[in-house]
Amino acid sequence: MSRPSTVPVPAPTAVFLLHIGSMDTRLIGLSIERHWKQSIRLTSSLDEAHVALVDHDRPGIDEALSRLAGRPQIGVVGYAFRPEGLQTRFPHHLTLGKPLNLDVLPGALSQAAVLSRAPLAVASANVVIPELSELRPRTGDEEPDLCGTQEDIPLVPGPPLPGKLFFEPTHYLVGHLARALDEALKTGRPHVVSGLPRLIGVHPLPQPICVTGFRDTQLRPFSMAQLPDATARVVNALTFSTSGSGDSIHAAEDFLWNTAAWAARGRLPAGIDPYRPARLRAWPNFTRAWAAPHALRIVSLWTREWASPVEIARRLGIPQRYVFSVYASAHFAGLFQAEPAAVLPAMIVPVSDVPPSLPPQRPSILSRILRKLLDAV
Amino acid sequence: MLSERVRHNKIIFSGTVGAGKSTAINALSDILPVSTEALATDDIAGIKKTTTVAMDYGVLNLPDGEKVMLYGTPGQERFNFMWEILSNGGIGLILLINNAQPEPLTDLENYLSAFSNFIAGTAVTIGVTHMDRAPAPGLDAYRSRLAELGHAPVPAVFRVDARSREDVAMLVKALLFTLNPGLSDA
Repeated sequence: MSRPSTVPVPAPTAVFLLHIGSMDTRLIGLSIERHWKQSIRLTSSLDEAHVALVDHDRPGIDEALSRLAGRPQIGVVGYAFRPEGLQTRFPHHLTLGKPLNLDVLPGALSQAAVLSRAPLAVASANVVIPELSELRPRTGDEEPDLCGTQEDIPLVPGPPLPGKLFFEPTHYLVGHLARALDEALKTGRPHVVSGLPRLIGVHPLPQPICVTGFRDTQLRPFSMAQLPDATARVVNALTFSTSGSGDSIHAAEDFLWNTAAWAARGRLPAGIDPYRPARLRAWPNFTRAWAAPHALRIVSLWTREWASPVEIARRLGIPQRYVFSVYASAHFAGLFQAEPAAVLPAMIVPVSDVPPSLPPQRPSILSRILRKLLDAV
Repeated sequence: MLSERVRHNKIIFSGTVGAGKSTAINALSDILPVSTEALATDDIAGIKKTTTVAMDYGVLNLPDGEKVMLYGTPGQERFNFMWEILSNGGIGLILLINNAQPEPLTDLENYLSAFSNFIAGTAVTIGVTHMDRAPAPGLDAYRSRLAELGHAPVPAVFRVDARSREDVAMLVKALLFTLNPGLSDA
């Protein structure tokens, strides 16, 4: 007779989607299927649930929460546009902000399960449980910059680069979108990315535009999530309406810039050499394109000269992940200049030979105006 | 000690009739802007009811008590003698182009030419307005024209709603970083 193992096998956290819209349900389901299958499973029964996930902003929330009465063993994770206002009302809920940060969601779910059912070791070994304080909604300056936490790589090529420095675009919305735009421009016909919960289409003429039924608050988390291989397909659409109610229209360049930034989160597209010089041919449309921290400085410098992403970061004295974010966006927005083959070799200068970083500026009138605008807007 | 007048700095807003210069200054200014609007009596009347005949004036109050003056030039070319006077000593130029006008790229070229001396010593950023009802030419057409005109690197060109403080502030921020990418934004 065999003895049971003394090492408990971690059970996945069973999550019940208590009051979630269909779009979010789809997104969370995709993420679980793709990334967290070992640590989280969805359940359709409250009796099995360790945690309930709740959208606090949907109408009927009180009625939905009443289903949890008498079930203190179920932890609750909520999310809302203004989570700070819910802390007092629901002190036992772990409340996250919107748009839902999928990077912290598994940790939050596991944490809520642990807190509500402490004797049961339901937290998966695959999930790093953050401190509770890390999961509290952030406000103001604490807002995550969506550029990740990737550490800088060496200033000169050397050891193999870490795999987590790169992302594979074809696993994300931006990869499908870029292909749809390519096809649309080649054929002169609209294309759509099919298989998604909402419309995303590309019209090539007269100006390339993207049309989507995703709201802005949905698009960001959807762009951040990896899509299962069979989820999305680019198909030729003889026509599709650009005036559907609720659909929004974006310049393709802006749309690709944003979806790339959200997919990248401080990483480079796979296959990009961070030591290879590049140069921007133009500024992105920053009134519509998402600006990572330091993005304006990066773009200003990068439109002036050929330099590698690593070198741009060094010159500005900023973490490389912010430059990588801009690189990924500019790459997909088509804003990099074609390489002048005859000139490029001469432009590859050893980093140590490059002039030192720009000297710190005394608080000039430009700095003071900038400070005013940064504080006020 | 420098007098208050000497310590003042200014940013110039210029561009075509109806591009939103007065509106942009109004969006950014910390005071109610001073405007010299007059009833439009010529072909401008077909575009808007009033037009700026001398200048618009707004102020950005900095925390240390300094002021940055925001000057808007009159859009009509017959007032272009004002442009050089107003821009003298300015930090840089915000150029607004009305995309709904018949030849916006020609307008761009004309204004850049008129301000060429000023831009050579400072910088320019370009806001394209009314793209919601006149999407063409797109921003890439503006960039191409700027490159053809020898502007290297190509200045920032943004789609702008002149009523939006965020949009106008972004134009000014781009102007500042164009002048000096080393400015700290932390």
